[in-house]
Amino acid sequence: MFVVIVGGGRTGTQLASILILQKHQVHIIERRPDVLARIHRELPTEIIYEGNYSDPLVLEQAGVKNADVVAACTVNDADNLAVCFLARRRYNTPRTIARVNNPRNAWLFDEKFHVDVALNNAEIMARMIEEEMSMGDMITLLKLRRGDYSLVEEKVPPKAKLIGMAIKDLALPEECVIAAIIRHGKVVVPRGITVFEEGDEVLAITSHDGAIQLMDLFSPPNPV
Amino acid sequence: MKYIIVGCGRVGSELAYTLFTKGHTVAIIDHLASAFNNLHPEFRGRMIEGEALNKDVLLRAGIETADGLATVTNSDTLNSVVAHIGRTAYHIPRVVVRNYDPDWRPLHEIFEHQIVSSSSWGAQRIEEMLAHPDMHTIYSAGNGEVEIYQFIVSHKFDGKKLGDIIPNSNCSPVSLTRAGKAILPDCNTIVHENDIVLVSAILEGIQALRQQLI
Repeated sequence: MFVVIVGGGRTGTQLASILILQKHQVHIIERRPDVLARIHRELPTEIIYEGNYSDPLVLEQAGVKNADVVAACTVNDADNLAVCFLARRRYNTPRTIARVNNPRNAWLFDEKFHVDVALNNAEIMARMIEEEMSMGDMITLLKLRRGDYSLVEEKVPPKAKLIGMAIKDLALPEECVIAAIIRHGKVVVPRGITVFEEGDEVLAITSHDGAIQLMDLFSPPNPV
Repeated sequence: MKYIIVGCGRVGSELAYTLFTKGHTVAIIDHLASAFNNLHPEFRGRMIEGEALNKDVLLRAGIETADGLATVTNSDTLNSVVAHIGRTAYHIPRVVVRNYDPDWRPLHEIFEHQIVSSSSWGAQRIEEMLAHPDMHTIYSAGNGEVEIYQFIVSHKFDGKKLGDIIPNSNCSPVSLTRAGKAILPDCNTIVHENDIVLVSAILEGIQALRQQLI
């Protein structure tokens, strides 16, 4: 994929480095001279484009016409919105991604400014911290799609509600599926009739709400 | 009418006071409370301290019922973005954007905003007054792409056809005033010394006309 990154601050530079490692083609645009001096030390010179990103000449030199993705990573929310709008309106960029600096401005990062994906650092952090605090023994292995869904793991403790129950009887919510069970070091492919045992390591793909319901099944039955 | 102004610097404070003296209701937004010190002491209107991208701030300023919005901060992207919100999300009938840095003008054009580029317009005026005092602008359309110029016919062109003076492209005659009476001229109109001629022209046309008049 060919990605044009606007804004060479910490986020933009880091993103560029990761994408280069993954063999993507990357160009980065920056206009602040002091920042340029730094990124020239961190990134290959040939991918750095200097100038004002409202200037069609600068954007076109950076190859925005052929970009699969434009990522607006500046520290200024108005700039990020303007970049996405410009990319889609003028160059019909297939996909635009923008960084949200101030969560209060998040309401603007949608089709109003042709933002396909808004990455709200503060909100993602807050949600992850909240999940880490609330998840008890459940471990998040992987976040999928910006953290809406996760791959989670939890070991079935003694006296858990789900011991002796079959998957089909768990009444799991739609946004939660059991992906695998590791029993005595071997992977058991879960079927509707698979019955849980103490000590099973259960892997599930689930939303945040699904995880909370799943967690309840790992706890001892409520005293009657 | 109810107007919202974003940015309380030199332009914003001046505009706020002008609108206020004409009897309008004005709300002015700035992220720095100290910026409101720029306002005229007699200004009466609402001053809202906050970020103009914040929905609560816009709602407090009355964006849902505003008749007009002017974005006049010294950030071109902020001006463009807030104006776009006003036009698309709140359907404000009249929205005007200040173009602060001429380099950023293409951005406003992509948003299709009505803009006032005071820096480039001012520079253009000053250049004219310095270099061509004999000819001056009466009216600028848009941001000076088409302008109406006035010049006085000199002795050298007395008795000539207007078409021999003004270039035949990029420039059209608008009016000819002789002894206080104006007529609608064409290229065959004979001009006399001291006639006042107005022409409408783009930059190329006016440069050609200047060459001719020297």
